[in-house]
Parts: sequence; C-alpha cells; structure tokens
Amino acid sequence: MNRTILSLLAITTLSWLGGCSNLGQVNAWDKGNLAKPMMTFEGDPLDQRFVQHIYGSKENSSGGYGVGGGGCGCN
Amino acid sequence: MNKPHLNRPQTATGVLLASLVLPGLAALAAITPLRAAAENAPEKTTIALKYGSYSDSQPGWDRVKATAPQVYVQAPIAGEWSIEASGVVDNVSGASPRWHTQHTQLSGASQMSDERKAGDVKVTRYLARAAVSASVAYSEEHDYISRALGLDARWSSDDNNRTWTMGYGTSSDRIDTTYSGGSVIDQHKRTHEFMGGVTQVLTPTDIAQLNFTRSIGEGYYNDPYKTLDQRPNQRDAWIALARWNHYLAQFDASVRSSYRYYSDTFGVQSHTAGVEWVQPAGRWTFTPGARYYSQSAANFYLDPILDAQGQYDQAAVFARAFSRIGSNQSTDQRLAAFGAVTLSMKVSYAFTPDTVVDVKYEVYHQTADLHLGSAGSPNLDPFNANFMQIGLTHRF
Amino acid sequence: MSRWRTLRFDFSAMASPCSLQMDGRDEPVMRRAAAAAMAEVQRIEHKFSRYREASIISRINQSAGLAAIETDTETSGLLDFAQSLWSLSDGLFDITSGVLRHAWDFKNERLPEPATLQGLLVRVGWQQVELHGNQVRLKQPGMELDFGGFGKEYAADRAAAVLQSHGINHALVNLGGDLHALGERGLPELQGTPWQIEIQHPRPAPSPPSVPLAQLPLARGGLATSGDYERFFIHDGQRYCHVLNPRTGWPVSHWQSVSVLAANTTTAGALSTIAMLKGPDAPAWLEAQGVRYLAVQQDGQMLRSSVAD
Repeated sequence: MNRTILSLLAITTLSWLGGCSNLGQVNAWDKGNLAKPMMTFEGDPLDQRFVQHIYGSKENSSGGYGVGGGGCGCN
Repeated sequence: MNKPHLNRPQTATGVLLASLVLPGLAALAAITPLRAAAENAPEKTTIALKYGSYSDSQPGWDRVKATAPQVYVQAPIAGEWSIEASGVVDNVSGASPRWHTQHTQLSGASQMSDERKAGDVKVTRYLARAAVSASVAYSEEHDYISRALGLDARWSSDDNNRTWTMGYGTSSDRIDTTYSGGSVIDQHKRTHEFMGGVTQVLTPTDIAQLNFTRSIGEGYYNDPYKTLDQRPNQRDAWIALARWNHYLAQFDASVRSSYRYYSDTFGVQSHTAGVEWVQPAGRWTFTPGARYYSQSAANFYLDPILDAQGQYDQAAVFARAFSRIGSNQSTDQRLAAFGAVTLSMKVSYAFTPDTVVDVKYEVYHQTADLHLGSAGSPNLDPFNANFMQIGLTHRF
Repeated sequence: MSRWRTLRFDFSAMASPCSLQMDGRDEPVMRRAAAAAMAEVQRIEHKFSRYREASIISRINQSAGLAAIETDTETSGLLDFAQSLWSLSDGLFDITSGVLRHAWDFKNERLPEPATLQGLLVRVGWQQVELHGNQVRLKQPGMELDFGGFGKEYAADRAAAVLQSHGINHALVNLGGDLHALGERGLPELQGTPWQIEIQHPRPAPSPPSVPLAQLPLARGGLATSGDYERFFIHDGQRYCHVLNPRTGWPVSHWQSVSVLAANTTTAGALSTIAMLKGPDAPAWLEAQGVRYLAVQQDGQMLRSSVAD
C-alpha cells in the first residue's frame, strides 16, 4: 500500500515536471518570487526547534532536517 | 536557501572603480543589485524571543504541562561571518503519559517536575557561493546531559540553481538517575550523523530539496524510569527527507510540503508528511498547516495484555516481562505502531519589515487507528496534546 | 511615527519622463528629499547643457583649438571618468564623437554625405583632448565635448545620493529608463522585497498589451539600457540608430538592446553603451567587468550574463 502511494506520487510528480522544458534553468532575473521569505526552507528557527523537540519525545523518529542538534532525555 | 539577502560589496574593477571617484557615488552602497546569492552573511542582526507552552492528556491521567521560553540571536560579523546562538529552558511538570506499564507501584516515578536547560552556538563562514558552519550544543537536565558538535558545508552551482549540502554531527550523552533516586549510574550514549542533500530551483515558482541522513548510535537507550524495559544498545537509522515549496502568484502565497521516511534498527519505520499554506495579507501572514505521522512498532515492543473484562492486566504484563528478562522488551507507547495528526495555525503581524510578532497554535492527536494501512498496535490509549508558541522577532 | 506610505514624484528632465518613488513614514522629510533630488537633476542638466552658451561644456567647446579652460572638481571628475571609459573600451566610447550628429539627419531620415562625414571624423578622437589636473583643452578647432553619453545616468546616481543624504532608505530613481534603486521596498506588507522593474522590449508588438523583455527585481544599484530603438530611422530596409562608432561614423547594428546592472547607474549606462559599440565582443567584455547584463541580438536572440547572483 505504501509502495503504491509512493509510486503514484512519483509518477504524478515526474510527469508534471516533465512538462516543464526548462526545468532547473532559471535565470537570476526570474528569481524574484523564490527570494521571498515564505519560499525558504529554513523558516523560523525557534518554531521548528520547539515542535521537533515535542515530536521527538512523543514519537520514535527524529532528525533528517540537519545535524549537530544534540539530544535530550526524551527517548 | 537563505532568506533574501543583498549581495556583499562587489569588487570594484574597471568602469565601476572609475565611477567611484565621481562626487557622492562612493557613498552610495556599492552593492551589486540583484539579491539571491546562495551564500551571503546576513546584513542585519536578528533577535527572537519565543515562549512555548505544551499540554498533553491521556484518558485517566493527569496532564503533562511544559513551558519553554527560548531566545535566539543571529549576528553578522565582519561581512563574511555570522554567529547564531540560542537558549531554551524547558519546564516540565505533571504525570508522564501512560506507557501502559507505567504504574506507580512498579516504577515509582509517576510525578515529575523537571527542568532542562539547553544552549547552542553556531559560527558560519561565507564564501563565494558557499558557506561552512560549525556548531556546539549543550543540554542539561537533572538526569541527562548531552553535548553535541556539528559541521556542515553548502555550495552552489554557478547559476545558483543547485545547492549541495553535507553535514556531520556527533553527540555524547550521559544518563544518570541517582539524583532522583533511580538506579541508573553513569551510562553513556554516542551518536554520529552524516547528512547529504541537494536543493534545486526547478522553475521561477518552485524549489525542492532532498536530504539523506545516516545516523549511527550506540550506548544506553533504555528508558531509565521503566524497570522492565530493555532496549538494544545500538540504534542505526536511515532518513530521507523531501521538501517542496511552490509559489502561487494569484494568491501571492506559497505551499510548503514535505515528506520524511525514517527507518531504524529498532524495527521502526515511519512516514511524516506535512503541508503548510503561507498566506500574506498586508502586514499579516496566516499559515495553516497539517501533519500526518505514522510509525510501525519496534521489533521488541510488547502490546498491553487485557483481562477478560478488558481491563489492563498488570500481573500478566509483569509475568511476561519477567519471563523475558535478558531480552529486549519495551512497553513504551512511543515504540508502538500508531498514527498521529497535527493541525496548526500560525498568525504573524509585521509592525515593520524588521519587527514581527507571531502566535502559533497546534493540536496533536495520536491513536493506533491513524496508523497507515494495517491497524496499529492494539489496546493503545489515544493521546492528545496541544501546544502554542508566541514569539517576537526583531532585526536591526 | 505615522503610517508607512509610498510617494511618487513625476517630472520632466533631460528630455525624458522622470520619476522618484519612495517608501517612508515621514512625509515632510520625503517631500523635502524629493525636492532636493529633483533640484539636483535640474542642476546637472543645466550645468552640462550644450544649449546654454555660458555652460561649462559650451565654454570648453568654444575654446577648441585655443586656450585651456579651468574646470571645477565635478567637471574634471567627469572628464577623468570619460578618459577611463575611452581607454577601457579601446577607444569606442568617445565623448568627442558628438559632432557626428551634424552628418546624421534623424529628423529627415537621410544618410550622411561621405565628404561631410570624413570632415567631421577628423574632429573626433579623445587622444586630441588635453587633461592636466583641472585644466582641459581641445586641441583641434571644431571639436566638441558631449556629456550626453553618461549625463542622465550620472544624474540618477546623484539624485539617489541626495535622497540618501536626507535619510531615505527605500527609493527608486527613474530618469527616462536609467534607474537607481536605493534599498528595497520599505512598506511592511512588502516585507523587504525589491522594486519590480520591467525592461522594455526592443521590438514590441504593435498592438497592446506589449510584453516587456524581462522583469527584474532590483533592490540596490543601477540599471541602464542602451538600444537601437531610442532614435533611429529605417532606410531601404536597414535600421540606422543613434549609437555611432567614433572611428567610422556609422551606427552599430549588432545588438537591439543591452541592459546592464551595476553598483551605480553611471557604470551601468557606460557599460551598456560600450557593449552596443563592441558588437559581438560585448558579452565577453561585460563578463570581464563582472556585471550582470541582458542583451538582445539583431535576430532577437537573448543573451544573459553567466555571472551568478
């Protein structure tokens, strides 16, 4: 079931991307919207720290977002 | 990718150099106009304060409440460096949520009040289209001390459409519960993490990121407060994370989505999928979000045993635990198979472009029923939590 | 402090439509700054005007072949700048080439007489200008200096400098398409995004709406465009524009337009003009100057800088 969902997602994404002929060749001139704060990945540093700490202590998965964060006595 | 920054001063050669002798022109900021280099030191200092508050509940048990004031500072240094530092004090109080064998007679610690202090410092050096960072982190609570180091580097292609990242982190933790009357003395845990990733600009409105992390850990993984809990002394994990930000011009909004796959040697595999819609409206920004999480049970997780009346059969659980002494076993709900959903809403208001206040409220619901695909672990009590953060960010 | 607002001042100067746009909260200060900036533009136009007999330019030109003229710091600075441009462009950018306009009749769309052109070319050539400190002398009678090649761009930078000295941090100066951005947008709801600029298409579609060549976010620095569409005529299917090669006296034809982004507008303008004059060598030369550019070839093909942002 997981495999089916993932395959469907991959196929949909790839076909959507395949339709764009200039994928990945974006000129500096056209990056105005990508520069907006809402388009970054980092976001609010404290927001995510708090939230990931909570998830880390209530669930068994942690990490994947960055390195060197250190641990705590949650799990 | 970083927040939009103006470029560093361009080296003046040729015509530009010649123009700077003209009256008043040197005083004009000699900065190349187009933003968005992959790596630039921030121009302004940022200070952020945040107050987080958490409260959870499980049927039949008192709540756990926690508050966490946090502070964060980021400052540029000498044009090519920046330093970041943050600190948090977590105050936790209340009963620990039911780990189905958590019974006062067995484990002895059902009320807790704990404070965790943590701080970290990170220094970054910016180069042309690249940056290197080193960080140290320290976290202390009465029974657990963690020290961590991190190193990461990122560099971009010539056209800045692709950025590669690589990171290494290591942490060394010490667990000792003698202070609170426990029996765990001076145990250690060491972890190493290796991360590699790539961020790719796809179109003028799309940017995506893919990260892989390999985590290797060995040492004390048992829960120090559960007498009959024994876990492997090694936990290695693979994590894959994919993120995608898409800009919608007709709304001037962005949709941020992410998916993380996690798999470790405890036998736990999990999926985390999240989506957020960032909608600016004048000085306000509204960000509703949703997160779905599902994990499989650890291979040493044991389900609760119920008696004929459907009540928790403590004696049977205890007997089972004794019969398995020496093998890995745990009844900790965190290692069960379950799913969870979070709904969140963040509202922020910008007094000026440099001063922003924000409030975020989230509700979390975890049950076995939400497990993806097959049923989750049986007889798991649902778990609910809500958490809120209020923050203020100021740049100068 | 009161609310954030955007003020825009439109005016005419240097035979072009001009505007100043700024985001700020103190309206009286913004108005004072705008007035000072507009006055500065008018001062420069007045000071270096070819049409005023008493202007410094006219006095230098009238003294061609005769005595040296003593100039002020600003003028000698601009003359030194012109000298740098001449040597950096291998002699293509030459402010003594203004006399060639006598051979080209753009109004009546007539090609020059070969003899007239030859006669004028003798009077063109920066190597015939003597600069010693504040003194300038044109060695040949009939020689003329013309600041038209960078005057408007210089005025854009000076206007921005005046705004900056009044404490304005979020402004866009536009003098007939020569732009200087002094900081990004200031309104809180715009969250520090840059000014959005549209670059004119050199061959726009005849019926509206015409699509711009490119849209560019500009937060700081100068943007200038040179094109073959500003002043031209078409004769026998061939376009003749106003950008003339000082050695041959004939217009260049390799590029439809070249737009350059640089730390200031004076630089951007000089580089875009030199790029037009350099023809096919322009991209390599602009790369070496380390600026971002957008150039449109005669066949309509666009070239962009490879320099990263």
